[in-house]
Amino acid sequence: MSVKKNPIKFGSMQPDIENLLELTPEDFAFASREQKEGFIQERASTTYWKDAWRRLRQNRVAMVALGILVLYLFFAFAGPMLAPYGYDQFISGSENLYPWHYSLKDQRLLDSFSGSYEERLATAVELAELEKGAKLSAIELATLKAKIRTSTPDIEAFKKENGIRLKAFGYSQAELKRIEDGENVFPHIFGTDKYGRDIMVRIMIGTRVSMLIGVCAALLVLLIGATYGSVSGFFGGKVDAVMMRFVEMIYAIPEVLVVLLLSTALKPALVNFQNSGSGFFRNLVGLMGPNLISLFIAFGLLYWVTMARIIRGQILQLKEQEFVTAAKALGASSGRIIKRHLLPNCVGQIVVTTCLQIPAAIFLESFLSFLGVGVSAPMTSLGAMAADALSGVVTYGYRLVIPAIILSIMILAFNLFGDGLRDALDPRLKK
Amino acid sequence: MAKYTLGRLGMSLVTLLLIATLTFLLMNSVPGGPWLSEKTPSPETIKALNEKYGLDKPMIVQLGMYFENLIQGDMGVSLKMQKNRPVVDIITEMFPVSAKIGFFAILWAALAGVALGAIAAYQRGAWVDSLLRIVATIGISMPSFVVASLLLTTFAGSNASLRFFPTIFDAALGVKAYILPCFALGVYPMCYIARQTRSAMLDALGQDYIKTAKAKGMKNTPIIFKHALRNALIPVITYLGPQIAFTFCGGFVVETVFSVPGLGRYFIQSISNRDYPIIMGTTIFLAAFIIVMNFLADFLYRVVDPRISIGQGGK
Repeated sequence: MSVKKNPIKFGSMQPDIENLLELTPEDFAFASREQKEGFIQERASTTYWKDAWRRLRQNRVAMVALGILVLYLFFAFAGPMLAPYGYDQFISGSENLYPWHYSLKDQRLLDSFSGSYEERLATAVELAELEKGAKLSAIELATLKAKIRTSTPDIEAFKKENGIRLKAFGYSQAELKRIEDGENVFPHIFGTDKYGRDIMVRIMIGTRVSMLIGVCAALLVLLIGATYGSVSGFFGGKVDAVMMRFVEMIYAIPEVLVVLLLSTALKPALVNFQNSGSGFFRNLVGLMGPNLISLFIAFGLLYWVTMARIIRGQILQLKEQEFVTAAKALGASSGRIIKRHLLPNCVGQIVVTTCLQIPAAIFLESFLSFLGVGVSAPMTSLGAMAADALSGVVTYGYRLVIPAIILSIMILAFNLFGDGLRDALDPRLKK
Repeated sequence: MAKYTLGRLGMSLVTLLLIATLTFLLMNSVPGGPWLSEKTPSPETIKALNEKYGLDKPMIVQLGMYFENLIQGDMGVSLKMQKNRPVVDIITEMFPVSAKIGFFAILWAALAGVALGAIAAYQRGAWVDSLLRIVATIGISMPSFVVASLLLTTFAGSNASLRFFPTIFDAALGVKAYILPCFALGVYPMCYIARQTRSAMLDALGQDYIKTAKAKGMKNTPIIFKHALRNALIPVITYLGPQIAFTFCGGFVVETVFSVPGLGRYFIQSISNRDYPIIMGTTIFLAAFIIVMNFLADFLYRVVDPRISIGQGGK
């Protein structure tokens, strides 16, 4: 056996099964210090989380999704600080900019092209003379005149001829002048809206709002769902039956109704609360706006049912196991058993469900903003931006397309990461 | 069986009653009322109107009266949007419009979803599988208003080069008017069903009875359709039950984007208008629909998998 099938790392003390019989005197030498340490490292125990992280790292799709999410975090939280425009700042003179522009020189050329016959003739003469290097003869002038008079202006050909192309990013006329004067102007990368607000900065803020809503709402769902589900599962019997009936009832109520009514019902109360003084919670309400808070409450009230069902199922299985009996025998209270013994054992399911709640919350928020009951102006969210853009979609399609794509990619990344997390935390579920 | 059905029926009625009560309380605790519009009427007028429609009575009396009328099939009259028109009339007019779109949407979603999911599971790991997984994940990541408005701008915008379809829904145009809304409404369920079918199919294909069938020398087609797919359908049915009800009553967003005069859009409008009887009527209608569909789904479990004793289906 000259070729080793599984070459073993140098310094490893694991027996080399393939070559077990080919022993040399060196094999019986004392192990060096490095070899011993290598052995200890190789056999180091892994924790549940380390193991899950290792599996997650091997999942390329999930890691790409994680990378995208980190980029989004940077975009949403650091981006607005780097950009010189405010999300609610009206930049006068920059209204309705497209995310592309013509340079000033190209604009002048285009103006001359689309002008009257005399203007076009003057430009053509100028160009022809430049080419010839002398004044045009009478015949040449006449042919040129005839050509211009008979030809219909073909703007595309003209653009091609003079190398006039759209350039990326939007600039207003004033900003273009300043660039020409040698100033550095931060571009409107995604253009501006009809009030002259920079769309990219608004998208950053919108992404931030959407992400915050997703994460906070998912945590809220986790809190309510885990408590409800574990109580229902642990006590079982009649308690369980009644509690699960209630869950079924919640399923049957149209969520739109609850959310729409709640957001209108809570708004005055929240505004009062916000104006009643200062303090952490009051500032929080002021910061997020009453609509957003009522959105959280509505979400918390409606979406915990899935979480509750999953936790209940897990608890039902776990509570029959010996360690629970042991805890009971030692006189642990129900609350302690749930908190210290049962919930930690379904942490994988909890993490995965919470992670998959985030896109659901973002979905709901964008949907509500679309219906016009989401975040309150001048705050914005991706859904609200798309809804605003719908009225002018024919001329300004990019205003709808950009937030829509950013939103979809974000939800996609959350979904893919959630799937990866599920595979990593609970390999049995891997399909 | 009869006992189970009766019990289930009783339970459903209790649920419906509770939902109606909850909706009623929630609706009435919200400030504002049906009489507020640009021109606020005088307090005397409001008082007279409240008296006429019984809104001046204590809430519990109002609720009692509502249930009394409901049992006789009377859901009251619209207070604002179509003044004095019976709510039952409005629902019977609007529901068919939504239901027609919903039916075709769910039909294509279910057929395509199950088929694609089954193919993906059968070709596990192949490029078909990867492609379908990517498409399905993208599909469930796009909010319906994104799908609907992208479709609208691509195929129906007034200066779009591909102007095949009308921007505003018009039933008189026939098939043409239905294609975009049905497609937009079906994308999410289709992708969801495809994902679910795939994972259920993988589960089923790994079972021992499939091995047995293969060992007996059975052909692939009956193995897939008779053994695996039938067992994989249970989660799909669980999902489809309530989903059919929601889709039939109108995708709110799709109806808004395509200006479809359906029940879903009307429901949203009724909430912001505080037209109490319409809110109540539509909610009860939708809840009853969902309950019936859930019941049907439980019944279908038994058809698909005779081992399931009724009442225990759906994991």
